[in-house]
This record gives sequence, C-alpha cells and structure tokens, in this order.
Amino acid sequence: MQPLLAAAVYLLCFATSSGCAFLLARGYLRSGARLLLWSSICFTFLALNNLMLVLDLLVWPDLDLQTLRLVTSLAGVGVLVFGFIWDQEEEA
Amino acid sequence: MMLYTFLSGMLVTLFFVAALFFLRFWARSRDPLFLSFACTFCLLGLGQSLLALGRFAVEERSWVYLVRLAAFLLILAAIYGKNRGRSSR
Repeated sequence: MQPLLAAAVYLLCFATSSGCAFLLARGYLRSGARLLLWSSICFTFLALNNLMLVLDLLVWPDLDLQTLRLVTSLAGVGVLVFGFIWDQEEEA
Repeated sequence: MMLYTFLSGMLVTLFFVAALFFLRFWARSRDPLFLSFACTFCLLGLGQSLLALGRFAVEERSWVYLVRLAAFLLILAAIYGKNRGRSSR
C-alpha cells in the first residue's frame, strides 16, 4: 500500500474509533444505560490504541509501542467483558 | 515475541467473547444495533488474528488495518442509523 494511503487508513481508524467512543458516551449520558458506559470505555481504549498506532508507525517509526498497543486494546475489551459479566451477576 | 503472541491470543479471545455477548443481546432484543456490535467485534478479532498469524512485513501490514477500519465504520453507521431512527420517530 502507498505510504500516504497507509497513513490515511491509520488516521481514519483513530478518527472512527474516537467517534464511536464519543457517540457511545453521549448515549450513556442521555439514557444512563450501563451497557453504553462499558462500550464507551472500551472504544475509548481502542481509540487510544489507534492513537498509539499513528504515533508508533507514522510519527516515531523507530519507537516500538507494539506491546503497549496490545495492552490498551486488552484493557478496553477487558473492561467491556468485565462489565457484561458484572451486570449479569446483579441481574441474577 | 512470546509476550506479544500471548497478549494477542488473549485479545482475540476477548474480542470474540464480546461478540458472543452482543449476539446474545441481539437474540433477546432483536435490536440490529447489537448485531452490528457483534459483527464489529468479530471483525476486530479477525484483524488481530491476521496481524498475529500472518507474518507481514511492515509495509504490507496496513492492508490488515482496513479490516479494523471496516469494523469501526460499521459500528459508526449503526449508531448513526439508530440515532436517526429515534429522532424521526
């Protein structure tokens, strides 16, 4: 892939994931649905992951943030799955 | 490298577990937003699997991120559609 196109893909990943986090957070503030809270936290971490991707591959190519990037994604989806299981316990 | 492989495996599993949760929410409520969430997390899991398994050179790797971009676009479109549906009601 052309470097410019690759850069566009990384930046769009960051922009779209940030957009998701924002819309989900707004949805949570409006409705108070906890599912939206867990989802918005998850997408915030995924947006952070994509920001690191941009920094890692475009801004500082010599830097290796691979493990840190994985940890942020893990934190995001970990919070989401934790939230689902936790809320289910409260329902029961 | 071993830590990377281990963490990648964990991440892929969690993505698919999250997808399963959303699939169950969809089965209960029939809300298409949940189905979109399930597809998104499947795509994120698929993208991460490709990154971990396909030993791509750095310059080839950006193609895989198109899968991730598709996942985010899908969920953005679903949230947008849901909000629009609500406001037009």
